[in-house]
Amino acid sequence: MEPLVRIKGVSKFYPRVHRPRERLRAFASLMTGKQVVAGAEVLHDISLEINAGQSFGIIGENGAGKSTLLKVLTRVISPSSGTVEVNARVAALLELGAGFQPEFSGIDNVRMKAALLGMSANHLDKHLDKILAFADIGDYVHEPVKHYSSGMVVRLGFAVVAASDPELLITDEVLAVGDESFQKKCIRWIEAFLEQGNTLLMVSHSMYLVQKLCRQALWLHEGRCRQIGDVFPVTQSYLAYHEERSAAESRHRRSLKGDGGLYRVSDFSLPGSTGEGDRVIAFGEDLDAELVLHSPDGRPPVALFGVMRADGTPVYGVASDHDAIEAKMLDDHHYGFRICFNTLPLLPGSYSIRGHAMDPQGIRLCDTAELRFTVSGESREMGIVRLPHRWNPGE
Amino acid sequence: MNLSSMNVFRQLVSRAIRTDYLENMTGFAWLILQPLVLLAVYAFVFTTIFKARIPDAGAGGFVPYLAVAFWPWTAFSEAVLRSSNVVSANAALIGKVAFPSELLPLSAVSATFLMNMAGYLAVLVVLQLTGTPIHWFGVIAALPVLALLYVFASGLALFVSALQVFIRDVSQILPPLMTFWFFTTPILYSSSILPEQFATLMRFNPMSWYVARLRDFILLGNYGLSLNDLAVPVLTVLVLWGSLSFFRRFSAHFEDFL
Repeated sequence: MEPLVRIKGVSKFYPRVHRPRERLRAFASLMTGKQVVAGAEVLHDISLEINAGQSFGIIGENGAGKSTLLKVLTRVISPSSGTVEVNARVAALLELGAGFQPEFSGIDNVRMKAALLGMSANHLDKHLDKILAFADIGDYVHEPVKHYSSGMVVRLGFAVVAASDPELLITDEVLAVGDESFQKKCIRWIEAFLEQGNTLLMVSHSMYLVQKLCRQALWLHEGRCRQIGDVFPVTQSYLAYHEERSAAESRHRRSLKGDGGLYRVSDFSLPGSTGEGDRVIAFGEDLDAELVLHSPDGRPPVALFGVMRADGTPVYGVASDHDAIEAKMLDDHHYGFRICFNTLPLLPGSYSIRGHAMDPQGIRLCDTAELRFTVSGESREMGIVRLPHRWNPGE
Repeated sequence: MNLSSMNVFRQLVSRAIRTDYLENMTGFAWLILQPLVLLAVYAFVFTTIFKARIPDAGAGGFVPYLAVAFWPWTAFSEAVLRSSNVVSANAALIGKVAFPSELLPLSAVSATFLMNMAGYLAVLVVLQLTGTPIHWFGVIAALPVLALLYVFASGLALFVSALQVFIRDVSQILPPLMTFWFFTTPILYSSSILPEQFATLMRFNPMSWYVARLRDFILLGNYGLSLNDLAVPVLTVLVLWGSLSFFRRFSAHFEDFL
């Protein structure tokens, strides 16, 4: 089957045009067909195919090129290189107030927007009541749009888009400004829209929304496609990336505890790793950790294990003396500890585990080693751990 | 133009009419009244103060001679000036919605012509009522000429509106240029009073042809045309074609420059 959307090797380059001289130079190079030198590339070599019935989320940091990609897809702008094919009736809601002119009344803007979406005057007259009911902004429709709150603008914009009966809906982080009940209304509408076999392409910073509404995701990073595929792995690595970034920011403030005492970590490993890279376990699997501590004076040190999320949020910590565990003596100066977290209840995501060496009294923290691991799997649950639970039948 | 573009075009025209014309006036009455007041002012200034005499003015004298040429010129010049910054003014639309952006200058030109032609008709009626013989068959014959003038204005509008996106100074340069064009076109005077070399030069001004044909048709009832009269219509169509290709070629880059 022919895909609904096919873009190939799309790049978008914006020339620098702030000063009149730059504008002239950029215009001259357009006239002569030469490539402009000064400027910024916001999209680099993006390829994407979307079939009918798919729902695609586009995620990424601010300035990653998400909105530009949507503009290219809706042909609002043309790419500097690459091809764009769209074979569907598209309705797009790009940015706040897409195409609304502030001096005109809501109803005027609805007419304009409807015309831009390809609705005939007849079709609009038939659906006008429905649009106004969906937007639910009362008598404000007769006021100029400049008097609207941002939520009202989005309500009206979404209502028109919903009435235009599209096959492909493209939205850019617009639901975020609506209030709770309007967001729910929109989500219900989009779900019904998808159930009818239609196609969705949305940009959002809410991973919750993306996971709820989309089956596939594309992670844009600095104008390039960093990861594309099933929504869960993509959103998880995106979240992990953010957690690591915020952890890196706070790392220099938080020096690792440990006063350089006698007892050291001589080996720390997660048995079961296959090959290189971090240990990956499936959601609900066991996690084993092995710690070897060095004791210069030959007395058995205390081992402490700590599990935390990739951003450093502590999840759980336990020491060998809490559970009155005797270390296994390997030789005169080395003691081994092995711990197993059964059916680890951590939700899919990136984590790290630390092994600490403490003095034999379990008071001073002497040394630390850290390893990272990933819990894989698909889950829409929220938070860090799955709490054991049971749903009771209602009354 | 397909059906949905047509729809957008209608919306844009009605919008332009409302913002540019109806908003500042108390309703439709002003639309007719304003050109008539203007006509009265010109009549006073040129016949009473300057005592202007036109050798080939026809039966009505100076005022109808001026009026028949003045309103089409106003429509033409206003249309080009208004559309010069219409693309930048609608930057919000261009950056957010996909639609054929040539509709913007075209709708500005259309709105201007619709409004000025309504005024033109009112002026002609008033001239007739005040005793100037208007050749009403000539008015009908003038319709294709006015349509060509509309095409000419659309062509120039497409060109300047696209150019203005890249070179902002266009909106500053254009008004004095149009004033210069106004005075080098025989609107306030007749080309027959000019020295020979200027009169020859003026034949290269397409607006002279438009003005002369409108006067011939409407005031004199003189419908004679020669092969020479093909030059300006051909030029007009060429201007439209050239401007449209210029506009389409560069409209893809508008968003980069807005």
